[in-house]
Amino acid sequence: MSIQIEHISKRYGSFTALADVSLTIESGELVTLLGPSGSGKTTLLRIIAGLESPDEGNILLHGEESTRHNASRRGIGFVFQHYALFRHMTIFENVAFGLRVQSRLLRPSRPNIRERVTELLHLVQLDSFAEMYPEQLSGGQRQRVALARALAVKPKVLLLDEPFSALDAKVRKELRDWLRRIHDDLHVTTVLVTHDQEEALEVADRVAILNLGELEQTGTPESIYNDPASPFVYNFLGNVNLFHGRLLTELSFEGRAGSAERSIDTAIGFVRPHELELSRNLPADRRSVVASVLRVHAAGPQIRLELSIVGSGRSVAAELGRKQFEQLALVPGDKVFVWPQYIRLFDDDRAMSLLLDQGAGI
Amino acid sequence: MRGHRPVSSSSLLHPSLAQQVGRVTLILLALLFLFGFLILPVAAVFTQALSEGWKMYRDSICQADVLSALRLTGLVAGIAVPLNLAFGLAASWAITRFEFHGKSLLITMIDIPLSVSPVVAGMMYVEVFGLHGWLGPWLSEHNLHVIFAVPGIVLATVFVTFPFVARELIPFMQAQGSDEEVAAVVLGACGWNVFWRVTLPNIKWALLYGTILAASRSIGEFGAVSVVSGHIRGKTTTLPLQVEMLYNEYNFTAAFAAASLLTLAAVVTLGIKKVLEVTTGLRRGNAEEEAES
Repeated sequence: MSIQIEHISKRYGSFTALADVSLTIESGELVTLLGPSGSGKTTLLRIIAGLESPDEGNILLHGEESTRHNASRRGIGFVFQHYALFRHMTIFENVAFGLRVQSRLLRPSRPNIRERVTELLHLVQLDSFAEMYPEQLSGGQRQRVALARALAVKPKVLLLDEPFSALDAKVRKELRDWLRRIHDDLHVTTVLVTHDQEEALEVADRVAILNLGELEQTGTPESIYNDPASPFVYNFLGNVNLFHGRLLTELSFEGRAGSAERSIDTAIGFVRPHELELSRNLPADRRSVVASVLRVHAAGPQIRLELSIVGSGRSVAAELGRKQFEQLALVPGDKVFVWPQYIRLFDDDRAMSLLLDQGAGI
Repeated sequence: MRGHRPVSSSSLLHPSLAQQVGRVTLILLALLFLFGFLILPVAAVFTQALSEGWKMYRDSICQADVLSALRLTGLVAGIAVPLNLAFGLAASWAITRFEFHGKSLLITMIDIPLSVSPVVAGMMYVEVFGLHGWLGPWLSEHNLHVIFAVPGIVLATVFVTFPFVARELIPFMQAQGSDEEVAAVVLGACGWNVFWRVTLPNIKWALLYGTILAASRSIGEFGAVSVVSGHIRGKTTTLPLQVEMLYNEYNFTAAFAAASLLTLAAVVTLGIKKVLEVTTGLRRGNAEEEAES
């Protein structure tokens, strides 16, 4: 079932939670709503679920206006951040709840309920936990129960509100992969809210990035990562180095940057740590700046370096492959020449203006 | 916090002599106080009641007046407690699950019966429903008797036991939050199902606890009931009023026999309360343990 979000606005007193957000989610798609806290992503999810009502705008489920429909009639599965399992019921009863409360006409027979719940507990790999109570389960197990409970009523739309954020990193990663597999099996339209960019990019077909109640960008994880539409998105999707003013001028070429009238002085430039090139020798064919090495983080496949640009004192982060790092053999205190492979420039009206590709040009 | 724990616990496990003396003295003082102010008087009630033997005790209780007072007390509690149960549930539900104007005012109002002297409560009802009160003329025209009759006693009892259920439930329901109820609604449950299958099972212990407190208070209420009852023997005397009347007539054995019934009722309710505390306390302990891990 598709979800059309049309010009949704929501205010709490003087605080604007959502400002004119429109987004279409196709049937069977897995979309993540990504944004920092206070960006309105959870509010939007709760509006889709019917747990909040928008001040303006409509939600269309499968082309049908549902904004005035009660939450209990939308055919939605909802998974909460803190599980919200029924603590006085066994795991079996938790999963069966949605079936047991259906009106007499729709309610499956007892054997059918038993069969469906057993099947779901098998799907979430908790077969042997049926007679236990929620408090006897770990966080990850509880969230799997919550998912089984949401799926029991065969929802046409599955909504997940930061489902993994209360879990530790390893479990979070496991559940994320597992959720993706379940989605690929069931193909139920899914919206997942998260503030974790790694989670959002890894699990989704499409990512919608929210900031201060407005939709910043939507697209596939790849396109969003490679082609951020605004400084905010660029910043939010990973570590960045920010250059502006004189430093930017030193690093880039005015001739190419100023496709006529725009001045590079007013722009800001972003470079990801792994897009920085380092050398012990002055590169002859490109502009570079000198930096000194402050710290080296050598645990992991990528070596992370903290650098300080000589002169301005600005700190810069760089990432190298292990092999390249071993060739350079840098230790704290060393001086090194630094230049970017790419700089992405934005001018102050947030629109992306330029993409420099020095390496290709020289 | 954790770092400090071993230090304090070791000093508790291996106290110095001075600490030990101090501890024993404090415990003795507390026991002495308990004995002098609670156990001795309670024992006195039963000794005095039984001072002229079992037969006399039974006869005192089986007097028509005492039996009718017992029945009236039961009737009043039987009406006041369910009323306040319903009100307490509705108020706590409204306060913990919805946002509305005047919410903090409502919370304050619920506490009024606890801060007003019961005598004043009785007088307020006399002023409203009494013969010369605001509604008095209208009531007597329609031949309705509130003051110096059973309805007045029920009203006064409802007033003084008003806050017990709500005060017990509100903090409990606030701590639990509404997540489970929201989950039930999204799963398609109607309001009725949400209440019976999710809300009530979660709050049943707190609800029972509040009800017991309300019940013991409605059985024992004296001041407010005394003002509105009119002390008509065999008609509008509840058990506490009966005790006072017998006492004022120097019928000590009968007074103490009736008083022993009230005391027994108190002991029983305290016993139930204690059992509930242990069971719910265990649950709460489990939840905390789990939250820590």
